Amino acid sequence: MTDAPSLTRRQAALGLLASAVSLSACGKPAEEIVPYVEQPERIVPGVPLRFATSLALNGYGRGVIVSSIEGRPTKVEGNAGHPASLGSTDAFAEAAVLSLYDPDRSRAVREGTRIASWDGFLTALRPRLRRFEATGGEGLRLLTGHVTSPTLLRLMGQVQARYPAMRWHGYEPIGDSNARAGAVLAFGRPLASLAQLDRAVVVLALDADPLGPGPDQIRHARGFAAHRTARWENKAALSRFYAAEPVLTATGAKADHRLAATPTLVRDLAIALASRLGSGRPAPVLPPEAQRFLDAAAADLQSRPGEALVLVGEWQPPEVHALAHWINARLGAPVEHIEPVGPAEPPAPLDALIEALAAKQVDTLVVLGANPAYDASAGFAQALGGSGAFSVHFGPYHDETAALCRWHLPESHPLEDWGDLRATDGTASLAQPLILPLYNTRSAPWLLGALLGTDEATAHAAVRDTWAAQRPPETFEAWWRQVLHDGVVADSAAPRVTPPPSALPDLAPPVAPAELTLVLRPDPSVWDGCFANNAWLQECPKPLTRQVWGNAAMLSPEDARRRKLSNGDVVRLALGGRQIDAPVLVRPGTAPGVVALTLGYGRRRAGAIGDGLGADAYALRSPDAPWIMAGLTMEGTGGRTNLLFEQPDRRLEGEARALFPTVRADELARGESRPPVWPPSLNPDRVSDTHAWAMVIDTSLCIGCNACVIACQSENNVPVVGPDEVARGREMHWLRIDTYDLGPPEDPRPGFQPVPCMHCEHAPCEPVCPVEASIHDAEGLNVQVYNRCIGTRFCQANCPYKVRRFNWFGYADGQEYANQGAPVLAAQRNPEVTVRARGVMEKCTYCTQRISAARRSAEREGREIGAREVVTACQSACPSQAITFGDLKHPDSPITALRREPQHYALLGHLGTRPRTTYLAAVRNPNPAAEEGGS
Amino acid sequence: MSGAGGLLPQGASYGGLVSTVADPLMLRPAGRRYWIAFGVTFVMTLGFVGCIAWLFIKGIGIFGNNTTIVWGFPIANYVWWVGIGNAGTLISSMLLLTRQPWRAAINRFAEAMTLFAVSIAGLFPILHLGRPYLAYWLAPYPNTMQLWPQWRSALVWDFWAILAYLLFSIMFFTLGLLPDLATLRDRAETRAGQVVYGALAMGWRGSARHWALHDSVYRAMAAMAVPLVVSVHSVVGMDFAAGLMPGWQESIFPPYFVVGALFSGFAMVVLLAALMRRGFGLESVLTTRHFESMAKVILAASIVMGLSYLTEWFMSWYAGERAERTFLIHQLTGDDAALYWSMLACNVLAPHVLWFTRARRSVAILIVVSLLVNVGMWMERILIIWDTLSHDYLPSMWRPWYATIWDWAVLAGSLGFFAFMFMCFARLLPVVAMHDLSRLLYRQRGGA
Amino acid sequence: MTPLLLAEFGDPDALLAAARRAREAGLRGLDAHTPFPVDGLPDALGLPPNRLRLHMLLAGLAGAAFTYALCWYSAVVAYRFDAGGRPANSWQTFLVVSFEVGILAAAVAGFVGFLAAAGLPRLHDRIFAAPGFDRASQDRFFLSVADPDTDPVRLAALLDGLGPLSVQAVAP
Repeated sequence: MTDAPSLTRRQAALGLLASAVSLSACGKPAEEIVPYVEQPERIVPGVPLRFATSLALNGYGRGVIVSSIEGRPTKVEGNAGHPASLGSTDAFAEAAVLSLYDPDRSRAVREGTRIASWDGFLTALRPRLRRFEATGGEGLRLLTGHVTSPTLLRLMGQVQARYPAMRWHGYEPIGDSNARAGAVLAFGRPLASLAQLDRAVVVLALDADPLGPGPDQIRHARGFAAHRTARWENKAALSRFYAAEPVLTATGAKADHRLAATPTLVRDLAIALASRLGSGRPAPVLPPEAQRFLDAAAADLQSRPGEALVLVGEWQPPEVHALAHWINARLGAPVEHIEPVGPAEPPAPLDALIEALAAKQVDTLVVLGANPAYDASAGFAQALGGSGAFSVHFGPYHDETAALCRWHLPESHPLEDWGDLRATDGTASLAQPLILPLYNTRSAPWLLGALLGTDEATAHAAVRDTWAAQRPPETFEAWWRQVLHDGVVADSAAPRVTPPPSALPDLAPPVAPAELTLVLRPDPSVWDGCFANNAWLQECPKPLTRQVWGNAAMLSPEDARRRKLSNGDVVRLALGGRQIDAPVLVRPGTAPGVVALTLGYGRRRAGAIGDGLGADAYALRSPDAPWIMAGLTMEGTGGRTNLLFEQPDRRLEGEARALFPTVRADELARGESRPPVWPPSLNPDRVSDTHAWAMVIDTSLCIGCNACVIACQSENNVPVVGPDEVARGREMHWLRIDTYDLGPPEDPRPGFQPVPCMHCEHAPCEPVCPVEASIHDAEGLNVQVYNRCIGTRFCQANCPYKVRRFNWFGYADGQEYANQGAPVLAAQRNPEVTVRARGVMEKCTYCTQRISAARRSAEREGREIGAREVVTACQSACPSQAITFGDLKHPDSPITALRREPQHYALLGHLGTRPRTTYLAAVRNPNPAAEEGGS
Repeated sequence: MSGAGGLLPQGASYGGLVSTVADPLMLRPAGRRYWIAFGVTFVMTLGFVGCIAWLFIKGIGIFGNNTTIVWGFPIANYVWWVGIGNAGTLISSMLLLTRQPWRAAINRFAEAMTLFAVSIAGLFPILHLGRPYLAYWLAPYPNTMQLWPQWRSALVWDFWAILAYLLFSIMFFTLGLLPDLATLRDRAETRAGQVVYGALAMGWRGSARHWALHDSVYRAMAAMAVPLVVSVHSVVGMDFAAGLMPGWQESIFPPYFVVGALFSGFAMVVLLAALMRRGFGLESVLTTRHFESMAKVILAASIVMGLSYLTEWFMSWYAGERAERTFLIHQLTGDDAALYWSMLACNVLAPHVLWFTRARRSVAILIVVSLLVNVGMWMERILIIWDTLSHDYLPSMWRPWYATIWDWAVLAGSLGFFAFMFMCFARLLPVVAMHDLSRLLYRQRGGA
Repeated sequence: MTPLLLAEFGDPDALLAAARRAREAGLRGLDAHTPFPVDGLPDALGLPPNRLRLHMLLAGLAGAAFTYALCWYSAVVAYRFDAGGRPANSWQTFLVVSFEVGILAAAVAGFVGFLAAAGLPRLHDRIFAAPGFDRASQDRFFLSVADPDTDPVRLAALLDGLGPLSVQAVAP
């Protein structure tokens, strides 16, 4: 009776079934039954298969390897061969597998609100196509997001050729128009520039966040790590980062010198730096603090020609981008340029479509992988509503746009069908299906095929045609198999072009400083809103704020104090007649006068998970200045909401600073290498003749990107608890990234400290368990035996790290949040990991299932487990490779060396717990010249 | 015997004493006030059962606990009830060993109080489990899992301490009750009464031989009860002290928990005594002398409690451990500071009114003080859990804590259940040990 | 069956005196029935001391020893494992449970021993048939003599001067 009712019903049903079977076993069933005699090729029950494929973010491909168990994709990991993955993932890629099984995915063709059929759609489409063939496609409009897929581009080219008068519009809520425009200003043509952080030693980020979420995050993180891995034996110089930004970003958090600067000040800094480098333009007067910051940065940049780099974020206006191009040219910065990835000439903008719709010039509109009704300005919805056009929405969800369109066609998930994508550097990669479409869905090539008059076009054929066209037929098959195996098309990266000498832009007169400026940003959890219905991402604590299940208007403490606002106060943000209500989140490090809001919330038709969360920032967005909008007004509404955090308290003051030690590069150089020392203990020292697993986390590399958190969740079947339970402080994440502000409010200097289970050798949780549910195994793992646990919770009460998680309800066991109990989601579960029942304690296991898999294969092949053979989920996900796992006993395991590093420390080591998970202190490399300044 | 004046009515006779106690049971009807109280407590008991049922259906999550503060009301209630439970037997046995003449009137319902309180206390550790239906895994028995209890865990010590104490108290209580049951048997007018009490009296006939055996066993058990009780509440203290948490890992916990138990226990005895006295017109045998003596014990205990708190603060500061200090600061100034200060007011300040003889002799004042003490002791227990768990080593996991309706409902239900059991006891068994009273009278008359 | 004689007294001191006399007179099978233990009565009646406390002590020690053995066996032999690096035989912690169980065992021995020695529970005894005996549990004090060589008359004569309220023979 203490089990969830549903479960007991299920058990009853099973019991019934069993008895029925045993009864019917006496006689042969009437129908023919087919035993499982022919094993499907390659499928060995219990042995996961791994396929290379690619996933898109903003249309750019990131190569991944997906494990599939008995035909079910369960886990996404990085593809080392892919330049945008390099073997690692980000939170979005990790979470893709949950979206595949999302119960709210659109499952049926709909005409208006009625369920319809694909044939029904075709019959409705055909007459129009015939008419278009006559008119050359007059009135036919195509709206897509950013397209890099060679196949889709080829097909769209054919469609365009078939209907010359057709117009193709492109819209990406988080585009790169500013960067393009900046390149045009600088080079006369829209070159895309690829910063090479791995070759940069001094970096100045002007409102840029290379380490933040985005299609290039992984590549940049790896480049960042290249010059920040401080090790005792290699005394190579560390890189130094300067960041000037209105909102705290991952880059700003890792920077050695950070300046909280309003967007206008950032612009002034760029101008001043340019004039310092001889632009001949008058340098604006900077506030003293900014001046110091600039002096230090400029000197540093100039001192390292060829290794100095200035980055500008997409959010900045084109002229600042142009200035950066000019500056980088002067510095000989490690930046590569390529022709923009995607269509040869960019599609028409969205507003053109809106005008056309308003003017009723649109006969047929096909929306392909875009959701403008939500993430474009409000004009689109009205225009479409009034246009009376034959509108077709093709997408994975019956979302805001689908609701407005006459037809909705369900799109397959990327893991369900064939495709191809290009990465930010142009490298092409193939996407192959891991599973048959779960529902009656189809993919874009089919739709384009339909426009071309072929009803049975398949993505597979389309992709093959695309690539076969460029190769001699005799070698194609071999090549094709090779590419599918690698997941990457070899040497398909866009050729690097040497840009023409960059011109200085002529600068618009500085705008009058507004009292409040609104700054929009992509959301680290839901990006532009397309991940809004992904429960893992919604419950994933955002870097730097640790907020979950919503967004908030970020303020500086000064502004909050002046306006008497505190966390959770609801304010009305008004800008140019548009207004929304949003709760306030006071984040030290935000530039005074700046209000920052992330996109992607306030979804109305995302699904059971994403609907009605947070504030819709798009409602404030103006098409001409999509990111930075001056003249914001904000007043309190008197309302309050409860902001949800997985870490209510971020301050780390006084003696508590010892919890997050930081080392200066020069101090580190003076340190000496020694093994860790533990406080003495009365307990006998254990001698074990087997492995001794341990983990070392380098906090100077961690960029707090949450890839590990989601990786852990998907690997270990960690359930989602939902906002209400989070509000009661009952999150379940096995791995959390503690984020502490180490500096004063004006310069918070946050540090990231991932905290999994410490697997203490003298674990406080073990002796207090009355039923031996928490015990130590021979290899040093602190194991939790779920079926022994009776739920006294003494272990967690006595755990100084509080890494244990308790199933207060059956979060994965009959009392799931919202639709998380849907049967289809069970397909995502990792069969190697128990799904925990209600009333049971759980925690990080060092991915013990992976250890035992390695052990099994090693024993099968009669060898030792390799030094780097066991890779935990968090480790494999980490873009900056901050996490190392290995066997302390293994001679050439990297762990041993890391534990001898001078900056090595154990969290709360003085308690005598002897943790197996230990840390490397965050190494900072401040500029001595600017120590008293921005540091 | 000296110091025994004013404990018995003037001109008391053996028969008179017996009828003072027995008549309310045998002759006088219960009366409306009793039945109202009975009904109320019965309804509360039903509520208690309802809460437990809902807890089992819905799961432990209905309580306010969270990932950081994994323990909450149930454990606090457990410690509080054990504390009250500890007093009864301790009082009875200690006063017996120290030959306190005023024991005679109070020991019986003090022991009954122990039985009920400990039974309720024993419920809570089971109710707070994630999987309560597996509680029996704490017992050592050869099982298919080939598993034994983990003897190093303070919870296993608890299991045995509570079990031993409960069984012990039942036997101690029964032994003391036996002669009085015989008395009731002999006074019973109805056949039913004679049969029931006769059966319960097990054929006791006051034989000198039996009295001798009875006396030696009873005294021996009393002598064992003292160390047992001390050990029981020390073990409860070690549930926390054996841990690693700031504010828990303190060697003072065991003794300080024992005193706390005595403290709250005596307060509860005072409340019940006042109740019995009023309800059964026992003014003649429950005299102000009794109340005065108990008041003195409460006062002494409260001083010891104050010293314990002082020691805690000093050690937290003196130990020099960062977490200990932050914990202390949080305790005195943090979210629950108001609670903490009112706890100090109740436990350390309020009892000092008992320095005045008039206060000690006024039942009304004593009732107020006792109520405050019991509330204060409950707050102390909940704070021990909240403050520590909400503010331990890693600030990232600091969390606030909110009680849910179910937390309160279960607490109220347990109180109702306790009162209900006591109501039944008061109508079915002699609330004062008659043979002890008579013996006291005999000794006062300078017998032997 | 030997006849049972009862002498009823109004207060314990008289009973004590009567008991002494009866004993000096060499009567056998002496016992008394009182509402509460009268100090000195056992000596007056010459009752033998009992050994219950010794049994309790032994039972207590046995219980404690057994419990410790169980802890040791289960933690060192039957299911040995590493709990927080503690030694397998963590005797300090094993002693706690051993103590509790020891006390419990002693108490049980005492309780059961008492019933056994007192011959309880016993629902009927011929003495209950004696008129007025119901006050033996309230405010009367009875001297009982089970001696074949005496009768109520001789007993009354023996107790002359102590003012027994009644002297009677309980019907066999």
